[in-house]
Amino acid sequence: MSTYSVVIEVPEDCDAAAAGETVELDVADSEYVLAAARDAGVWLPADCQQGWCTTCAAELLAGEVDQSDARRYFEADAEADLILPCTATPESDLRIRACQYDEMLDHRAAIDEPPGRSKR
Amino acid sequence: MADDDRRHGSGSVEPGSTDKRVGMEALRERGLDPEELRERLIDAIGAEFSTYYYYTNLRMHLAGHEDYKEITEDARLEDRAHFELVAPRVYELGGSLPGDIGDFMGRASCPHAELPVPFEGETPDLSQLDAEGILEVLLEAERCAIRTWSEICDMTHGKDPRTYDMASRILQEEVEHEAWFIELLSMERDGEINPAGHFVRGEPGDAPYSTNRRINDSA
Ligand SMILES: [Fe+2]
Ligand SMILES: [Fe+2]
Repeated sequence: MSTYSVVIEVPEDCDAAAAGETVELDVADSEYVLAAARDAGVWLPADCQQGWCTTCAAELLAGEVDQSDARRYFEADAEADLILPCTATPESDLRIRACQYDEMLDHRAAIDEPPGRSKR
Repeated sequence: MADDDRRHGSGSVEPGSTDKRVGMEALRERGLDPEELRERLIDAIGAEFSTYYYYTNLRMHLAGHEDYKEITEDARLEDRAHFELVAPRVYELGGSLPGDIGDFMGRASCPHAELPVPFEGETPDLSQLDAEGILEVLLEAERCAIRTWSEICDMTHGKDPRTYDMASRILQEEVEHEAWFIELLSMERDGEINPAGHFVRGEPGDAPYSTNRRINDSA
């Protein structure tokens, strides 16, 4: 088992106590990034936690994740550097920007996929 | 001052205005964005509607497990009750149900509780289907519902008592649903006794906390 360093930028406008902060935590390669963050006291937005609703969406700034446990994730999401931390395990050290739900909805709408296409 | 000039209330809603709702502005005044809440509610009841549909199919495929079928039926009908309880609230918050059911299902906040089998085109391959697999799907669907309604409770707590009341009623039942499926799956898969602590509903899909018949006859 490997453990990676995950740096999470929490934007100023995020509805989270850590808004405006950049936090760093260790995440095992068997752990989901969202759960590890919440365990570490960094409460980030999420809903289904099954890689479906996209509430937890984040931008992958650096590194690689395994997103295969997500119930609805598209290749175009990965190409746009958008991930779902609720079902993403790290495969390297990571830097992500949390709270990218609106960006994810815009992206999904642009590629004509749900839920963005029904909400934009 | 002439009677016509007298204002009948304070706040941002003009007397007689039907363009705005005090029921929404009161939320905004308390720091809750009513439009954002409303959209979340549409997603959440999309998931309830989706489970109502998919549980119909799952329950049919529990052939030979009459006990599992009955409990799935309770969960199925209660999810429909959850949809019906909250649908009117979407309109109170100035929204509406999506005109296209495909849109509605696409934005459902939980995954569809599909039969856990490979699909060859439209036809599911039932040869690998068993009760254990179905119970796992049911359990994970309930867990998603718990997360969704917990989120709505968090959003509305102390700001929107009406939505909070609905969400907390639904959450009570979702927690019970999870307990039922933990009990059934524990025995079916692991041979373990893991009691839910409940006995069956008085009538199928009783929805003791959430049925809108008891709190809102008009819906
Ligand atoms: Fe439900
Ligand atoms: Fe349920």
